[in-house]
Amino acid sequence: MGRHEEVPEEDPVAAIYHRSLPHVYGYLLSRCGNASLAEDLAAETFMAAVAAAGQPDAPRITAGWLIGVARHKLADHWRRSVREERSQATAARPGDALDDPWPEWLDAEAAYAALRCLPVPQRAALTLRYLDGLPVAEVAAHLGRSVHATETLLARSRAALRTVYEGTGHQGTGHQGTGHRGTDREEGHHGR
Amino acid sequence: MAADPLDALRLPVVPVDPRPEFAAALLRRITSATTAGQPGPASPVPPRDKPTVRYFVGDLDAAIAFYCQRLGFEEELRSAPAFAMLYGGGLRLLLSVPGLPGAGRPLPDGTVPRVGGSNRITLQVHDLTAAVQELRAAGVPIRADVSAGVAVRQALIEDPAGNLVELYEPAMGYHERAQTP
Repeated sequence: MGRHEEVPEEDPVAAIYHRSLPHVYGYLLSRCGNASLAEDLAAETFMAAVAAAGQPDAPRITAGWLIGVARHKLADHWRRSVREERSQATAARPGDALDDPWPEWLDAEAAYAALRCLPVPQRAALTLRYLDGLPVAEVAAHLGRSVHATETLLARSRAALRTVYEGTGHQGTGHQGTGHRGTDREEGHHGR
Repeated sequence: MAADPLDALRLPVVPVDPRPEFAAALLRRITSATTAGQPGPASPVPPRDKPTVRYFVGDLDAAIAFYCQRLGFEEELRSAPAFAMLYGGGLRLLLSVPGLPGAGRPLPDGTVPRVGGSNRITLQVHDLTAAVQELRAAGVPIRADVSAGVAVRQALIEDPAGNLVELYEPAMGYHERAQTP
């Protein structure tokens, strides 16, 4: 990025841009799996930083601050998507078992691939809870739901994830390290 | 409390370099917003109601090259082969390819968007004679040479797809709405 030396050093957002754009973009891409959406949300994130830096009580713009904003932007995107597909979202299957014993061993790659098949609300909840490691209360705040509703959503989402995961040939325990190659999981990979 | 097996899904933030075109365009937005909108707590983000025109073009790459190299536009984004967004002189110019997804797809009544026609964007230039000379030398088709219009001098050129672009230079009696502060 050394070719942008004309940027004035005193501009805090431009300065942090050079260090943090790959982090913000990498965060978003790995969570949403869609390059053009990741670009849109990264741009929104940095423009929010520009706006924040212009305030009298401007926060210190750090990579961590930017990732936090990016997470909000992603959650906003999911909430918009959910509103657009509300009929689907509310038609969640009532019979879903909330009891979901997972195997001790998990093929993470296959689980990410399965995650991508879930409806938006479930994908959003599991991504925030497990990929980002947020506590349930913070997941609830991001999704604009009550903690109780979020717990229910998470339980249903885990059950749905397990159904898809097992549908790709990952069942029970004791399959450690074998038999999990060659399933159709390419869509979870983006040419890395 | 037992460990949650799904905790294994925890994903650290791994830096990924985005497309250089995207990175450069974003940096331009950041720097123009921070230098232009310095005091504005009300709206530090640049206004998004840019005047926008869409042109249909047969060859997206050729059109982008034409507008950027010959008329000083900047490429904001490109979703080849169907769409591009350019900025120039306060105008946002969208380019779409007829028959491809997006604006190029047929209308509900079956009409496929067409390239060309007589409607056109008009761009002000500083020195019309010199501009036309330069474009002619670069092989750009000049559909109408420099002539006196009403309160302007104007010329008509053609982009690689066959769309007209009007260039003008203010002359005696020129009018436009005064800038509001």
